[in-house]
Amino acid sequence: MITRVADQMKFNLLNNSISNIQNENNELMVKLSTQKKVNEPSDDPIGMGKILDYRSAKAQISNYQKNVDSSKSWLSTTESNLTSVNDILTQVKETVMSQSSATANASTRQIAADSLQPLIDQVLSLANAKFGNSYIFSGTKTETEPFSATAQAARIDAPVKASGDAFDGGVTSGGAYIGTANKTYVVKIITGGALAASTYQISTDGGKTFGATQSDLSAPVTIGDGIQLTFAAGTTDFAANDVVYVHAYAAGYYNGNGEALASEVGKDVTINYSTTGEAAFTSQGQGTVDIFQTLNDLKNALQNNDATGIANQLDPLNKALDQITRYIAQCGTRTNSLDTASSALTDMDIRLTGLTSNIEDADMAQLITEYQNKQLALQASYQMASNLTSNSILNFIR
Amino acid sequence: MGDIGRILNTARDAILANLTAMNVTGSNIANVNTPGYSRLRPDFGSIGVFNAASDQQQVGVKITSIERLYDRYLDQQVVQQEQYGAYSQSQLDVLNNVQTVFNESTGGGINDLLSQFWGAWSQLSANPSGITERDSLVSISQSLASMINQKANELINIQNDTNNEISSDVTKLNTDLAQLADYNDKIAQIQNGGGTAADLCDKRTELLKNISQIADVNYYEEKDGSVNVYISNGRSLVEGSNVWNLNVKANPNNSNYYDIVFADSPNQVINGDLKGGQLAGLIDVRDNKVAGYLNDLDSMASTIITKVNALNSSGYDLNGNVGGNFFSTTSTLAKDMQVDPSIVADVRKIAAGTTVNGDGDNASSIAALQNDASLMGSGMTIDNFYESLISRVGQDVVNAQNSLDHQTSVMNQLENQRDAVSGVSLDEEMLNLIKYQAAYNAAGRLVATVNTMMGTLINLGIETPITT
Repeated sequence: MITRVADQMKFNLLNNSISNIQNENNELMVKLSTQKKVNEPSDDPIGMGKILDYRSAKAQISNYQKNVDSSKSWLSTTESNLTSVNDILTQVKETVMSQSSATANASTRQIAADSLQPLIDQVLSLANAKFGNSYIFSGTKTETEPFSATAQAARIDAPVKASGDAFDGGVTSGGAYIGTANKTYVVKIITGGALAASTYQISTDGGKTFGATQSDLSAPVTIGDGIQLTFAAGTTDFAANDVVYVHAYAAGYYNGNGEALASEVGKDVTINYSTTGEAAFTSQGQGTVDIFQTLNDLKNALQNNDATGIANQLDPLNKALDQITRYIAQCGTRTNSLDTASSALTDMDIRLTGLTSNIEDADMAQLITEYQNKQLALQASYQMASNLTSNSILNFIR
Repeated sequence: MGDIGRILNTARDAILANLTAMNVTGSNIANVNTPGYSRLRPDFGSIGVFNAASDQQQVGVKITSIERLYDRYLDQQVVQQEQYGAYSQSQLDVLNNVQTVFNESTGGGINDLLSQFWGAWSQLSANPSGITERDSLVSISQSLASMINQKANELINIQNDTNNEISSDVTKLNTDLAQLADYNDKIAQIQNGGGTAADLCDKRTELLKNISQIADVNYYEEKDGSVNVYISNGRSLVEGSNVWNLNVKANPNNSNYYDIVFADSPNQVINGDLKGGQLAGLIDVRDNKVAGYLNDLDSMASTIITKVNALNSSGYDLNGNVGGNFFSTTSTLAKDMQVDPSIVADVRKIAAGTTVNGDGDNASSIAALQNDASLMGSGMTIDNFYESLISRVGQDVVNAQNSLDHQTSVMNQLENQRDAVSGVSLDEEMLNLIKYQAAYNAAGRLVATVNTMMGTLINLGIETPITT
């Protein structure tokens, strides 16, 4: 308790009081102009942490949304192409039905064969369709055209050395591929050195997983399914992580592979969005009937006036229609999943915006009321200050 | 004339005493706004005692002493309090700077760039052969790395500035200590000579406040009036007119930042003995707080670099090669983080695929690092770690501000109490003035009366009166 008041005390008190009010005023001004309660971490440390968290969650959601949208576009193109193929195959089935009966003869069958070719070409072009710069039906080899016009025998491509390899010698492939689906084989050098001294591992799934380490590349190496690689030494030896890969194709029309493309549409939620040509159009891998083989067989039978041959194509055609229909349905299901994911993302985005706003945004009405209170307090302090010296004993002493 | 002469003497003493008293009042009035001034009070003392038997005593008044009114204990409390406020103030100033460095509230800071970084990997995984996505990823990675560099360097700058401030504070302290010793000397001399060195004592107390702001010191007053100042480990800074200076010494184990030592024993570091005042505050903020933030940035940068590099090196790039480092590994410190130049030169080398056929699964795995809660310990993802760093900075600022507010409020109270004892009240001085003036007038009237009476005496039995 102060029992005696000195002059400096009075001035100090007013000084501190005015300066405090000015400080608070200033903070209010900042909040009023940014319309945010939290302008610096110190305004609300925990709240600031949450705001940053919500912001990064929202950025993630926006990303997922982009993925959902582009996947849906891809699926829509796939579905429409498959639907067109379905329509064509239905038409072909009618030809089979009519041309396998006794009412058909060599000339009707020839006409049918001639009108079949454009349909086959149409199916080929639908199967080789692109979305942007990527082929839809090649699996992950989106830069390779999936289907050839004529059937190819099983073959092994020339091996490719990755462009960063230290090894500059030659490598050739040999042998006959006995695999039932298209695959990519990878040979990765573990410890480098001369041909005989290097150790390597083989992958049969394009480089994802590798087998045990083996050594000695001086003799031809069997890397699986009848494929042989022969290395010839160059001027530079192998280095670790040198990679040589070779594509091997089963007999048929298909040049892509059987791996689907996937995209992230939520946290730890990945959706495969591509349908491989292998599954939809061939009998390799997951597919059950080679559609192009069936169509070409049919054309041959028609040209040869082979009624039994024509009738034999009915069963494969039915299976083909089932196969195509199955993947059309799958596109529909996937699109539905994506729609669900998309609406969940939108909901979360709205919620996050609300949560962020709760912590961050200022209540303007409250701020303005506070501001006016401060103004009053300031006015009162100024008033006191001006009265400070007007009341003094000096007024009364003459 | 004995008795009448004595009355004149009495009147003279009264006039002189009251004149002195008015002088003292004048000094108080003049110094009403001088900080640290303790008001002076003239003590009147009566001379002589009337003896009823013989009327031979000279009575009167004299100023026995001019007392400086101060409360020794309050003064000490005020000096002590200075160190707490100064500690918090020095921390608050630096921490406000740190807060400005991070500047996350307007967006566009590390938090946003991190989101864009992970998003770019995700976009790449959806279109692994896209050169646009690769260019975009490299560009964002470079922005992220460069912003992390910038923040780390700014933190280091703040540490350097704090370091320099510590050095200049020590210099200032030494100057003040020298001045204090000088005051001690002068005050001791005056007091030995029997006087009171009131104004020097006031100035010395102000100086002690300044010293206490810099380093937490204790002091006590010797009998001869000089003040001995020492720090908490008992070593003296000032004893009488002897001074032991402090010095700064670069510490090679701490990036050559300064430690505080005594000038005459440079191998004994006294950082730990300073617990209050600016020096302690600055040392704590430099070596603990800002160093801690920098460590966290380094830790975050190093985790991003190692994890992304590890995944990139286990995938295949667009050329079919096994991937290499995405970030340069020459240094994993936050201030050195940068995208590997070979990636910048050829974006095809970003290893987005897990097979040689150009799929995007590896890029997907890298994007998924954003959600990996095992990376930073205590179940925090990289994003969470950064968020909690920002939170911590904010909390430290709030703590320093609260502490400062509290200390300021205590200081204000103590100052008020001190002013209650030692401060000048103009009202009081005015009343004193009236008092002394009245006494002066009365004494003057006494002289005039005695003068007339002397005239009467002189003119006793004279035909022509002499007028006085």
